[in-house]
Amino acid sequence: MSVPKVSCILLIFVFAASSLFLVAAVSGFSESEATLASNDADGTVASAYTATLKAEKAGANVSDLLTRLDEAGEFLAQANMAYRSGDFDGAIRAANLARSIGEEVQNAADSLEVLARGESQQRLLFTLLGSIASVVLIVLGSFWGWRVFKRRYHERVLKMKPEVASNES
Amino acid sequence: MNLNEYRMAFAAVSLILILLATVPTLNLVLSFPSGSAQFSEFWVLGPNHVMADYPFNVQLNKPYQVFVGVRNRMDSTLHYLIYVKFRNQTQPLPDPLNSVPSSLPPLYEYHAYVKDEGTWETPLAFSILSASRTGTSASVSDISINDVVFSVNSSTIWDTERNGFRYEIFLELWLYNATLMSFQYHNRFVGFWLNMTSGSA
Repeated sequence: MSVPKVSCILLIFVFAASSLFLVAAVSGFSESEATLASNDADGTVASAYTATLKAEKAGANVSDLLTRLDEAGEFLAQANMAYRSGDFDGAIRAANLARSIGEEVQNAADSLEVLARGESQQRLLFTLLGSIASVVLIVLGSFWGWRVFKRRYHERVLKMKPEVASNES
Repeated sequence: MNLNEYRMAFAAVSLILILLATVPTLNLVLSFPSGSAQFSEFWVLGPNHVMADYPFNVQLNKPYQVFVGVRNRMDSTLHYLIYVKFRNQTQPLPDPLNSVPSSLPPLYEYHAYVKDEGTWETPLAFSILSASRTGTSASVSDISINDVVFSVNSSTIWDTERNGFRYEIFLELWLYNATLMSFQYHNRFVGFWLNMTSGSA
């Protein structure tokens, strides 16, 4: 086959393929695609929420993440409402926005959790060392204090003069 | 006081000091339950943010507003889902005794992430867009909630006891269960009645 013929066939093939893509993009999405996108968004936002809870439990400040989750929740609501009304394009658009915020929140929550765990372990270590040092000081101080007290007590007892009680009966 | 009694007093004071020194560590290691009851507050307030002046005699295409709120007293951050539903007098409400939500389909929905002891509140703006009346029956076709239009196609008959065509907008509170990975009805719902008598024909 000659080169011009091959180029011509190739050109026709490329044109047909691009037309197909264009038609798919314009014609809108099906219900199953919308269901898939909605489920995907639901799952991602749920994972982001779970990750945020973990970060919060580890001691991180998650206020900003909750604000972002609220935004994701708004898009989830939009996606669900659009889906119920049969607007599958709108459902997919909103679901994708919810999913992207969910992914962002999940990444941020994971990083915050690692940071918070590190800080919390460090805090626990310092507090534990502080407690141990305090207990040792208290025990040593008590022994020392007791010894001093006992010596002074004995000295005081030894310095006491015996009193003779008269028995006149 | 003899020496033995002084020794006991010394030991008691030392033990108390040791306990005080270990409190910060115990606080970090052990977690104590709050002991208080866990519940969620759920409300609808009128347009002036009080429990009064709820829209009742509604007219076609006129905007109305109320406020929906949730307070989390469940000891952890929660994901709430609020469904807004619309019904006539005969359609079912949720069943609080069996914790079953209404079987009616939701129209609008809100998602709210609320911290423990936190409050979430948002406006609910609605408007009856299309309704008709024939004799003793009325029908609402379209309603707009927060600028989203819903087709409801709900008809009702004249309520002779209360003189009106009555509908109710009610809201159900659902809670995300992270273990089951799904929303569950939280057995809370609130609502307010609408009378479609004026201007609906």
